[in-house]
Amino acid sequence: MKRLFGLFAIVALAAGTFGASAAQAGKVLDRVLANKTLVVATDANYPPQSFLDKNNKLDGFDVDVAKEVAKRLGVKTRFVTPDWEIIVAGNWGKRWDISIGSMTPTKQRARVLDFPGIYYFTPAVFAVHKDNTSIKSVADLNGKVIGVCGGCTYEWYLKKNLVIDAEGAPPFKYQVTAGKIRSYPDDSAPFQDLRLGDGVRLDAVLSAMPNIQAAIKNGYPMRIINPPVFYEPLSVAIDKGDPEFGARLGAIIKAMHADGTLTKLSMKWYGVDLTTAKPASS
Amino acid sequence: MTTSTADAVIVERSWLRFWIPRLFLFALVVGLSAWIDLTDTMLGRALAPVLAVLARPGLARFDIAVVVGVLVIANVELVRLIPFRYQIGVVWAELLVLFLAFFYSFNLSFPFIFERIGFLITQGAVTTIYISMISIIVASALAMLAALARLSANGPAYAVATFYISFFRGTPLLLQVYMIYLGLPQLGLFLDAVPSGIIALSLCYGAYMAEIFRAGIQGVHKGQREAAVALGLKGSLVMRKIILPQAMRLVIPPIGNQFISMLKDSSLVSVMGVWELMYLARTEGRAEFRIMEMLITAAIIYWIISFAFELVQAQIERHLGKGVKP
Repeated sequence: MKRLFGLFAIVALAAGTFGASAAQAGKVLDRVLANKTLVVATDANYPPQSFLDKNNKLDGFDVDVAKEVAKRLGVKTRFVTPDWEIIVAGNWGKRWDISIGSMTPTKQRARVLDFPGIYYFTPAVFAVHKDNTSIKSVADLNGKVIGVCGGCTYEWYLKKNLVIDAEGAPPFKYQVTAGKIRSYPDDSAPFQDLRLGDGVRLDAVLSAMPNIQAAIKNGYPMRIINPPVFYEPLSVAIDKGDPEFGARLGAIIKAMHADGTLTKLSMKWYGVDLTTAKPASS
Repeated sequence: MTTSTADAVIVERSWLRFWIPRLFLFALVVGLSAWIDLTDTMLGRALAPVLAVLARPGLARFDIAVVVGVLVIANVELVRLIPFRYQIGVVWAELLVLFLAFFYSFNLSFPFIFERIGFLITQGAVTTIYISMISIIVASALAMLAALARLSANGPAYAVATFYISFFRGTPLLLQVYMIYLGLPQLGLFLDAVPSGIIALSLCYGAYMAEIFRAGIQGVHKGQREAAVALGLKGSLVMRKIILPQAMRLVIPPIGNQFISMLKDSSLVSVMGVWELMYLARTEGRAEFRIMEMLITAAIIYWIISFAFELVQAQIERHLGKGVKP
C-alpha cells in the first residue's frame, strides 16, 4: 500500500514538473499583448527566407517581416523552430502565436489554419542539373523524375491537386506530368540529390525561384527552366479561433504593402519586388 | 609408419589453417578494390608509373587491386608480430587515418567548420547530452519496474507490463514523439518540446531495457534464490540483495548499448524544433549550403560522446566483475 502511494506521488510530481496545461482556444492577441512577445514559428532550413546566420541567429526575409509585424504590434519577437509538418498540422495551443514562413494558403491548410494577409508572391520554377542538355523547356519535363518538398505546394502541383485558396492568386495550368515524383522532408533536400549528377537520382526539381537562385549562388550546379509554372501567394498563418488577431494582422500587412516596407525588404533579400501578383506567363 | 602419417596430417592441416584465412582475406580485398576501381585515386595515380612498366592499361584496376591486397595482408601480418596491447592501438590509428583521408577527399571547407563548431558544442552537444541523461535515468527506472512486474505473479501488473513493452517496442520512436507532441493536445494536454521528447525516449527505451533486465534476472542461477530462501531471506530482500546485484553484471553490455543508442535517438526531438546537435548541424549546414561539413562534424562529436559512455561502461564492468574469474 505504502509503495502504491509512493508511486502515485512520483507520477503526480512528474506531471507537475512538466507543467502541462490545458488548451485555450482564441485569445491569442490578448496573450501576445500581455506578454509583450510575439512567438513566431519558422522553419530555419529555408534560406534565404529563414536560416541561421554566422552568429547563429535567425535571419532572412521571413524573419525580417516577422520582426516588422511585431514592431507594429508593439511587442518583441521570440522565434521557435519546429518542423514544417508540425506547423502545418495546426492546433498550436500556447506553443507559438503565428507562423511567418512563406506558407501558401490552400484549401487543405485552411481547414486548420487562418491566413490573415498575403505578404509576397513567389514564382515556382523547375531547375535541372547544369550538365543536362536534353531539357530546354517546361514541356521537356514530362515523364521525368522530379524532386519536391513533401507536403508543399510544389508536390501538389505535380500531383495536380493544388488549390490555392487566396484572393488575387494568379491562375495557372498544370503543364507537366512527371514520370515519378520524389518527395523530401524539406525544400533543400531535393537540391542535394540533384547536385549528385544529371539523372543520378533526379532529373529536375520544382521549388521557389529565390531558393534555387540562392543554391546556385552557393555553387550548386543547377540551371533554371523558365518560365515559372505558377505564382504562389505567401501568407502569414495563425491558428483558427482568434478572428481579432487575424483582423489586426491583416491590417498590419496591408499597411506594410502600402507604405513600401515589404517592397524594401523584398529588394533587400531578392533583388526584385515580389510583393505584387504577376500573371503566370510572365 | 603411423606416427609419420599422423605427423603428415597435422602438418598438412596446419598449413591449410595458415593459408586459407589469408587467401580468403586477400581475395576479398582484391575483389573489393577491383570492383570500386581505384585507378583514379591518389594510390592509383601513384602506382601509374610502376604499372606503365607492365604495359597493360586495360587491367590497371586489377593490378592496383592486387597491390592493395598484398599491402593489406603484409600490414596485418606485421601488426600481429607486436605485443597485443599495441596491436590494438596501431590498428585503431590506421583505421582513423583511413577514415580521415576519406573525409579529406570530400574537399570540405575547414574555415566554415571552425566558425560553427563552437555553437554546435555549446548549444547542440549540451542539449543532446542533458536530454539523453534525463531520459536514461527515467528509462532505467521504468525498465526495472516493468521487468519486475513482468516477472511477478500479480495479474494486473503482468498485463500492464506486457502491454507497455509490446506497444512501445512495436511502434517507431518518431511516431511516439509525434503522438505525445501532437496527439496529447487533442486531449487538452500541451507539453513542451523537450519534455515530450524525454517522455517519448524514456517510454520507448524503457520497454526495450525492461526485456534486457528480465533476461539478466532470469540469467542468475535458480540456486541463488533457493539458497537465499533457505537462509531465511524474504521476498524483496532476495531480489534486492542477492538476485539484482548478480543480474547487473549480465545486463551492463546490452544496457550500455541502449544508452549509446538513446544518445543518438535524442536527435528525434529536432522535429519539434529543439536546438540539439543534429538539428543545428542540419540547419547550419543548410544556411550556407554546406551540409557535409556540418554532418561530419556532428558525427565526430556524437562519436566522442559515445566513446565517453563506452569508457564509463568499461569501468563499471571492471568494478562489477571483481569477484568473478574471467
